[in-house]
Amino acid sequence: MTTLQLNNINKFFGTGTSRVHVLNNINFSAQKGEVNLVIGPSGSGKSTFLTIAGGLQTPSTGSVELDGNKLSSLSKKQRDALRLNKIGFILQAYNLIPYLTVTEQFKLVKKIKKENNLDDQELENLMKQLGISELTNKYPNELSGGQSQRVAIARALYTKPDIILADEPTAALDSKRVIEVGKLFQALAKEQNIAVIVVTHDLRLIDYADNVYEIMDGQMRLNNDLKKKVG
Amino acid sequence: MFLSLKEIKKEKLRYSLIVTMIVMICYLIFILTSLAMGLSSQNTDAIDSWNMKSIVLDKDSNTSLSQSLISKKQERKIKLSNKEAIIGQASVIAKKTGLTKESAQFLGINKNQFIAKDLVLTSGHKLNGNHQVIIDEKFKNDGYKLDDKLKFNSSKTNYKIVGFVKNAKLNISPVIYGNISDWQQIKNLNGQFIGSGIVSKNSNYTTNDSQLKTYSKSDFVSKLPGYSAQNSTFIFMIGFLMIISLIVIAVFLYILTIQKLQNYAVLRAQGIPARTLVNATISQSIILVISGLLIGTILTAVTALIIPNSVPMSFNIPILSSVGTGLVLTGIIGALIPIKLILNVDPVSVIGG
Ligand SMILES: Nc1ncnc2c1ncn2[C@@H]1O[C@H](COP(=O)(O)OP(=O)(O)OP(=O)(O)O)[C@@H](O)[C@H]1O
Ligand SMILES: [Mg+2]
Repeated sequence: MTTLQLNNINKFFGTGTSRVHVLNNINFSAQKGEVNLVIGPSGSGKSTFLTIAGGLQTPSTGSVELDGNKLSSLSKKQRDALRLNKIGFILQAYNLIPYLTVTEQFKLVKKIKKENNLDDQELENLMKQLGISELTNKYPNELSGGQSQRVAIARALYTKPDIILADEPTAALDSKRVIEVGKLFQALAKEQNIAVIVVTHDLRLIDYADNVYEIMDGQMRLNNDLKKKVG
Repeated sequence: MFLSLKEIKKEKLRYSLIVTMIVMICYLIFILTSLAMGLSSQNTDAIDSWNMKSIVLDKDSNTSLSQSLISKKQERKIKLSNKEAIIGQASVIAKKTGLTKESAQFLGINKNQFIAKDLVLTSGHKLNGNHQVIIDEKFKNDGYKLDDKLKFNSSKTNYKIVGFVKNAKLNISPVIYGNISDWQQIKNLNGQFIGSGIVSKNSNYTTNDSQLKTYSKSDFVSKLPGYSAQNSTFIFMIGFLMIISLIVIAVFLYILTIQKLQNYAVLRAQGIPARTLVNATISQSIILVISGLLIGTILTAVTALIIPNSVPMSFNIPILSSVGTGLVLTGIIGALIPIKLILNVDPVSVIGG
């Protein structure tokens, strides 16, 4: 079942001679139960793609549909609610609020989204799985880059989203952790029927993807051959 | 509340500095206001203590008690009830050997009229004979005691202190209440004049003499020498102080909010509603301003206790509380100015490339 669909997306930044065509006629769809990996070099438009997919910015042309609803037809409030309830964002930088401890990062979400989050036991298991259960009372500035990234992953999963949009979630992780995160994404997709979309230049994740896309100069294409090469 | 309190808890130094600044500003405003009001009220304390509504003065005296005289001849056209009292004013230098000289306002009163009857003494007794005076407590602070003898100007006559009154100030000088007959002697008037003016508790009181005119209390007070000029200086001084302080506080809270925008962008990306963020911002400003205000008030109260008696301070609760309310309101405004920024904060801006 298609959860997220991008139709003929174009994105331009700037005007006149400084106008750049960052996304060039992109068509993309993600199914529940699958891990999608979008691989591309720096500046290729990965973050732009992901933020458009999650409704954080609007495409210059084209449409984004989530569960059959056009994002452009939703109000700002409805888009907020959608992000809170259905999407788990893992951003490339600044995922955590500096003045909240790890536990409080979850508490804050619970104050807004009161129901249908992970229960305490589930959260504890997740934190254990990610190797961060010892960090509950630490502030973000007391965490290493990799630890904050894993807390950010846990935070995104806390709301039991239908879709996970992750921007370089493994950039600061060593190979052992990358494997764990890859397995976690795979398990989430298979066991909880979530659509996982990861943009990255980290080829180490390819083993855990169902579909691998390449993005280059704003154009995207499915390239599952990459899997075989690396695998 | 959750966000605002957690942030204060984490950033203790930053927030205690901001609260300190607000405390200092409140303290400054409160102290200066109280000092100004204290000085200002020394012009009128005595007048206020009489509960008068109007005063009759010579119409050519420019509403000045010291320039007005009521003669024996005019007395026939004057009818006094128990709501009127004659006063005779004279500026004097009071002295007693060994003690500092005091510039004072001698007010001659009639012991059967309401001013003398209503006087509230802090010690001693009321006037019951000639050459007796009741004086302001300022004299006490300077070493004068009950039963001491005073001399006025160059006169040889001794006046005995029989009582003290609190807050008896007229035109910033301490008041000496004495007998109206003594006033005639001090002024060397040879019994031709009965007083300087007639004070009444009745706002419609008039006499039948065309040379005498009734003035309202506010007219009279505003013509006290220097009073209006002094008050407008105070009003401008405190007004500017308030406006500038409020702007400073608003700017600080504005900067504080601006610094939160990055975190807010993250929260917006996660789908946290803008309203939650606006509430957090406003509640935090209110917490900061109110704690600053409370500490400032406590400091002011402590200062009032330890400040020497010779420095007049007056705490006008309505004025001080409106200052406080003003501070809270500007705090909220300062936090709200960037609200558009909060509402439009672009999550993409923090996602990074
Ligand atoms: N707001 C913007 N205004 C102008 N140009 C932008 C803006 N956002 C992105 N771009 C440009 O779009 C291109 C793609 O940016 P994007 O952030 O999507 O790259 P990326 O693939 O995520 O790179 P990285 O791997 O470094 O994170 C870049 O050339 C960038 O300069
Ligand atoms: Mg990027």
